[in-house]
Amino acid sequence: MGPLFPNNLISGEWNLLIALFIGMAFGFLLEASGFSSARNIAGAFYGYNFVVVRVFFTAVIVSMVGLLYLGYFGWLNLSQIFILPTYLPSMITGAVIMGVGMIIGGFCPGTSLTAVVIGKIDALFFAIGLYLGILLFAEGYPFLEKFYHAGYLGHITLTELTGIKAGWWAFGFTVIALAAFWVTAIIEKKVRKRIKEYKF
Amino acid sequence: MNRNYYILTAIMFFLALGTLFIHERKVPPEISPGELLWDVLQPTRFVSTDEVAKRLIEKDPSLLLVDVRPASEYNKFTLPNAVNVPIDSLLTPAGQSYFGNPGMKVVLFSNDAILANQAWVLLKRMDFKNNYVMKGGLNEWMKTIIQPKMPPQTAPETAFERYDFRKAAHLYFTGAGIAKAGKSASKMKVVFKKRKKAVVAAGGC
Repeated sequence: MGPLFPNNLISGEWNLLIALFIGMAFGFLLEASGFSSARNIAGAFYGYNFVVVRVFFTAVIVSMVGLLYLGYFGWLNLSQIFILPTYLPSMITGAVIMGVGMIIGGFCPGTSLTAVVIGKIDALFFAIGLYLGILLFAEGYPFLEKFYHAGYLGHITLTELTGIKAGWWAFGFTVIALAAFWVTAIIEKKVRKRIKEYKF
Repeated sequence: MNRNYYILTAIMFFLALGTLFIHERKVPPEISPGELLWDVLQPTRFVSTDEVAKRLIEKDPSLLLVDVRPASEYNKFTLPNAVNVPIDSLLTPAGQSYFGNPGMKVVLFSNDAILANQAWVLLKRMDFKNNYVMKGGLNEWMKTIIQPKMPPQTAPETAFERYDFRKAAHLYFTGAGIAKAGKSASKMKVVFKKRKKAVVAAGGC
């Protein structure tokens, strides 16, 4: 049956409109989870607030396990799902830049925009920097192009790369995520005891 | 810690545990529904019985006739050199080996065109190329090739040309015409004319 767009169950005209509503829901949930606060996001790196880790890990394991079940029930053709192509060196570099940016700025690109919407000044500066970065990247693309396309591995998944069944990956990630929830809760408790000036 | 967290953790753990026991469903490759709809609406998949007859007479090596009726019907009668792939064995590897071969044109047929059309849709969904359906099936074959009807006198010349071809094809596929000709020849009565004997003059000399 699914996915809905490639199988023409939802026409192209509705595609963008539905994407708009999904985007609004995403922004709302980011804000509702407290992601529009730089303290919450940077907290994951300082050890006093792991809400980012929890929310994103929850999203990952729920969608991962859910997709496997949908594929098993025949409601979703897993071979038609878009898989992001892998460029190993540029992806690792990008991840490092993003991680450093999150510690320094206290936002990731999406959350900075939700924070701008609720009127945070620091997020506004972050968003301006974000667009400057996009401009810089676009202008410098001819110099970066070679590195950007290096190490192309195609649309691969971990299952194809290692030959280990998707179920084991899903189970492994879930166990890691669930363990992380409890471990981060313990870390949070210990760190928060030492912080005096900030109330939670 | 909230009691809900324990419950949610347990639910998530068992759901993930379940993924170890489910196997990934192998979905055969399939064309998109839009493409299928477009192709189903096209009349280009139909081949006339005349065309099939012509290619059979020419012994076209790129033509493969596939009878999609059940084996019992296939054994009673079928077209010359047709292979039997019943529609229920179309999805087996042995059945699929006939389709999608480069350079080959596969013409599906059944008693009427319905079963052949169904088989064609299945093959189209699996993205096999160069498959056709004999229009009208074996019923049409009987009507046009085996028992061709003379067109009315007011019909255009092409209709008569087609009729001539069908008559010739009829002879090719049945051989019945020659026997008929022999029969009619034997029916002709040979009339012996007895020459009257000259009357012997009576009375002596």
